[in-house]
Amino acid sequence: MTNQPFGPEDMARRKKRALAMALILVALAVLFFVTTIVRLGGSVAMRSM
Amino acid sequence: MSDINAQIAEAPAAVAGGQGTVKDYFALLKPRVMSLVIFTAFVGIIAAPGTLHPWLAFVALLAIAVGAGAAGALNMWYDADIDAVMKRTAKRPVPAGAVTPSEALGFGMVLAVGSVLVLGLLVNVLAGALLAFTIFFYIAIYTMWLKRLTPQNIVIGGAAGAFPPMVGWVSVTGSIDLGSIALFLIIFTWTPPHFWALALWKKINADYSNAGVPMLPVVAGTDETRRQILLYSLLLFPVTLFPALTGTVGWLYLVANIALGVVFIWHAWRVYRIREGQEAEIACKKLFGFSTMWLFIVFALILVERAIGLPSFAPVFG
Repeated sequence: MTNQPFGPEDMARRKKRALAMALILVALAVLFFVTTIVRLGGSVAMRSM
Repeated sequence: MSDINAQIAEAPAAVAGGQGTVKDYFALLKPRVMSLVIFTAFVGIIAAPGTLHPWLAFVALLAIAVGAGAAGALNMWYDADIDAVMKRTAKRPVPAGAVTPSEALGFGMVLAVGSVLVLGLLVNVLAGALLAFTIFFYIAIYTMWLKRLTPQNIVIGGAAGAFPPMVGWVSVTGSIDLGSIALFLIIFTWTPPHFWALALWKKINADYSNAGVPMLPVVAGTDETRRQILLYSLLLFPVTLFPALTGTVGWLYLVANIALGVVFIWHAWRVYRIREGQEAEIACKKLFGFSTMWLFIVFALILVERAIGLPSFAPVFG
């Protein structure tokens, strides 16, 4: 634990947290996209044109 | 909360926040508890009549797991003061100063709202509502209210840990059926003897006593706790067989659970009878260890029956 909040260790921790956050956001985007496709199911193919 | 706030005030870096690693935030989710929640919720999904698209089942499990993690983070936020004085919990991220209380609160709230919305919007509304109620029950009813108030904290608070298989079940059916209540009752009745066996360990008992948490051994004494453990273990035996009456399980589950129930009661009886010395401590540890394995096997048996296609009994009611 350091009293200098922006030392190299803090920046490394921040970078890892930011990376984890980015991965979670990408995973959420995939989750919503795939779920939308799954819930639409065959209705998309069956719709009248 | 005052004690931990005072400690944190003495640590400027912790007050500044932003010190937590990804590992610290993961620890806030109580991953060991989360793994049990995932397993029991999965059994709820598999045991429920009807079908759910595998992807939606995955989404449901993920939301339930994150909801459980949110509850864990909020619990660590509120309980930081007592966690700090108990050896077993002193190294948790908030009392250790790695994550500030407000960071834990924010993290927990975001995950709680997110998991409920995901389950409610992507799977079904009732499942989402039940997950929200589970988190509310664990934080407001158990953590904030009962845990510090009554030695029956574990009995009523145990309901929070019993909801996950019901949430899994509701994710499939969209309704709260007797079969899901049967699964709920198993964990609900199992919780008191499981945790009181842990609370009887000398060092754990001392921890709770130091923290002022009114666990049953601290308030009512170890003899009364041993009596309650035996009573709940006896009650657990018929409760475990309830899924047979709701048509959720078949012969394998029934026969195996009669045997497992007898062993459970035997361990509880030993805890009740052996009250002094190292033998008493060992009896408590054995009950705690066996009860952990017992819950896993009871729920795993349902999965095995489904996997090998064993038919369930015709429901007597439900």
